[in-house]
Amino acid sequence: MKRKTNINRPEISSEEIAKGKNFNSVLNEQVTITKPFFKKGWFLSSVVVATVGVITAVSLLIKTPENNIVKTNPAATINADDAVLSEFYKNEEAKPAINPPLEGVNVPYKIYKVIAEKGATLDFKTGSKMMIPKNAFVDENGKLLKGEVELRYREFHDAVDFFVSGIPMTYDSAGQRYHFESAGMMEMLAYQNDKPANVAPEKSINIELASNHKGTEYNLYKLDTVRNNWSCLGKDKIKKEANLSARNERFNDSPDAVQQTAEYKTVETKKAVVQKEKEVKIASLLKVSAEPKKPEEAKKDKHTFNIDVNPKEYPELAVYKGVLFEVGTENKNFTSSMYDVTWEEAIIKDGTKKGENYLLSLKNETKKYDIVVYPVFEGKNYEKAMSDFQGKFTKYNVALEKRKVDEAKIEAEYQSKIIALKKEQEELELKWKQIEENQFKLMNTDEKVKRMFALNSFGVYNCDKPSLYPKGVSCLANLTNEKDNRLMCYDVFLVDRAKNGLFSYTKNPIVQFSFDPQSTNLLWTVDNGVLYWLKPEQFKTIKGSEGMSNLKMDRVDQKFKTADELKEFFNF
Amino acid sequence: MIEVSKYHATKVDLANEQGLVEAAKKDPKDFAVLYEAYYEPIFRYIYQRLDSKEPAFDATQQVFLKAMANLHKYENRGVPFASWLYRIAFSEVNNLFRQEKAQRTINIDSVSVYTIIEEMEESKIDRYHDKIVSIISEQLEEDQLQLIEMRFFEKRSFKEIAEILDITENNAKVKTYRVLEILKKSLK
Repeated sequence: MKRKTNINRPEISSEEIAKGKNFNSVLNEQVTITKPFFKKGWFLSSVVVATVGVITAVSLLIKTPENNIVKTNPAATINADDAVLSEFYKNEEAKPAINPPLEGVNVPYKIYKVIAEKGATLDFKTGSKMMIPKNAFVDENGKLLKGEVELRYREFHDAVDFFVSGIPMTYDSAGQRYHFESAGMMEMLAYQNDKPANVAPEKSINIELASNHKGTEYNLYKLDTVRNNWSCLGKDKIKKEANLSARNERFNDSPDAVQQTAEYKTVETKKAVVQKEKEVKIASLLKVSAEPKKPEEAKKDKHTFNIDVNPKEYPELAVYKGVLFEVGTENKNFTSSMYDVTWEEAIIKDGTKKGENYLLSLKNETKKYDIVVYPVFEGKNYEKAMSDFQGKFTKYNVALEKRKVDEAKIEAEYQSKIIALKKEQEELELKWKQIEENQFKLMNTDEKVKRMFALNSFGVYNCDKPSLYPKGVSCLANLTNEKDNRLMCYDVFLVDRAKNGLFSYTKNPIVQFSFDPQSTNLLWTVDNGVLYWLKPEQFKTIKGSEGMSNLKMDRVDQKFKTADELKEFFNF
Repeated sequence: MIEVSKYHATKVDLANEQGLVEAAKKDPKDFAVLYEAYYEPIFRYIYQRLDSKEPAFDATQQVFLKAMANLHKYENRGVPFASWLYRIAFSEVNNLFRQEKAQRTINIDSVSVYTIIEEMEESKIDRYHDKIVSIISEQLEEDQLQLIEMRFFEKRSFKEIAEILDITENNAKVKTYRVLEILKKSLK
């Protein structure tokens, strides 16, 4: 079966559905195909019973929901006049969609004047921007407006804004009530000579609404003040600020970033100082002389030369007496005939392996030879050299062992200092990582972006995601004042600081009050124009149960003039 | 858990409703009360599955006509009268599709998709929205689609779904979660 898919089809109202009702048509068609019931035999015998049943049933069916609630909910056990309460609720429900709860406190409009035929680009202090094309306004009759048009504009960004404005933050979809978590909301109205203006057909005004929420899960809604519900207009677009990507990069680069902090650098300097101190201390230890070279005995089948060497130039050759220079096997051209030649010059130079062999240069008027030779000893000289070597080697070993022990002591002394400093650095890295993670989390909800959309009519627009009541603790909540009297209130607002929204309940007691105990919560309501609130710490005492929880709310006597004063009071 | 529609009445309400049904069995004019009470829910059920309003209005009338004609066959089985009407509506809608008088339409609202994602305990809401819409529209079998429509688009309780589909509540629950599992696997 081929299927068609519609996304976010406009909802049909109950009024429109009701227009399709035609029971008479159903009845007439039925009568034509069936024998009337009242003519059937069983009818007469049961007519009395049925009538009584119908009357009883209809009377039960047509009871209003309000009556049912008042009679069945626990409010009935509290001192309250049902009739007064019913009248109060009726009046509250009749109030307009936008209903500011506190007299004199609201998010103020900013007024802008625009020349209709020129259009304008408006930059707001919040960072938002509005692009109005030329000839974008018409009057109530659709006539194009010329001249000055007054724009009234305001933005709402947090729970206090939502609360004082009285703009509903709930969304009914197919009988299901959702609560909005907002990424930003704005209202724009236009007037000319105090008469409302509309957006001209085929024109649209582009908005870039500054927002602290970069998520793409938000939809764009417009408030329908007639239906008292929001209409979903689809998705907005998100524009990131240029510096944000740089900020992201900085956080991605964080492993190196911690090393650039002053704290980390200080520890690094301390580490270098400790390392230097250690090196100086080790350097100050008694130096161990070079390992003595073991004397080699001259081989009987090898040729040797007896050459005087300057001991200053080659001290290693002066360590043992009677050194001879033995011709190495690498001298392939050496012959014993060289012994018979009178050489005018015989010089010892450094050989191919320093300290191990030497180069003997033999020279006369006609010939010149370079021979690789090795220092050796023979006879008693060798025995004496070996005896000297044993003594020197033993001393050398003793000195070396002592040096090793002394060095180990210094290493141990400074190792503990370096470990402590490394630990300090690790702690800084961990702390940095935690800060980075927290900031990254915050960035997801607290990152400045611009939410872009176009509006074709004036009113309230909201970038929102629908959510359900917070979960965790739930109870039946009876709100009372300081004298333990039940508050006469209709709208009750729960603020969960982890969510940028306003969760609303109606009527007191709240039948299914729920909140997230892990979050910072506040509860606001207004009784007879007076603001009452439940502080975050008071939520800790609320236990979830099926029974009634009496919540004593604090009366706020302070008079507020602006939303900002309220924000300060509630520590926003 | 999602919040669901108010559907189930108390035993007293059910008894009262049965009284209305019995009255209507005797006099069709008394059916007016039931017609009045259930016209909108039945219309919404039908319209949810169709593209346009007109055939939905016609089909709704047909449902009540058939309900009246067969009212004498109706037996109270302890479930709301509405579930019987929904079954007639289900059959009526299928007739429309079979006779090609209307096209099977899936009407999805983004909010419900988010609810599905939430139910699936998935966090990447935005990434999955379009994908879920596509899977629901193109890949789900009709019976699977019915469960998703009733549970998430119409916010019905499992009890109500069970009564409309004439299965047990537990079965409705199991079947629905199986469909969610299918969705979840398709996302990976």
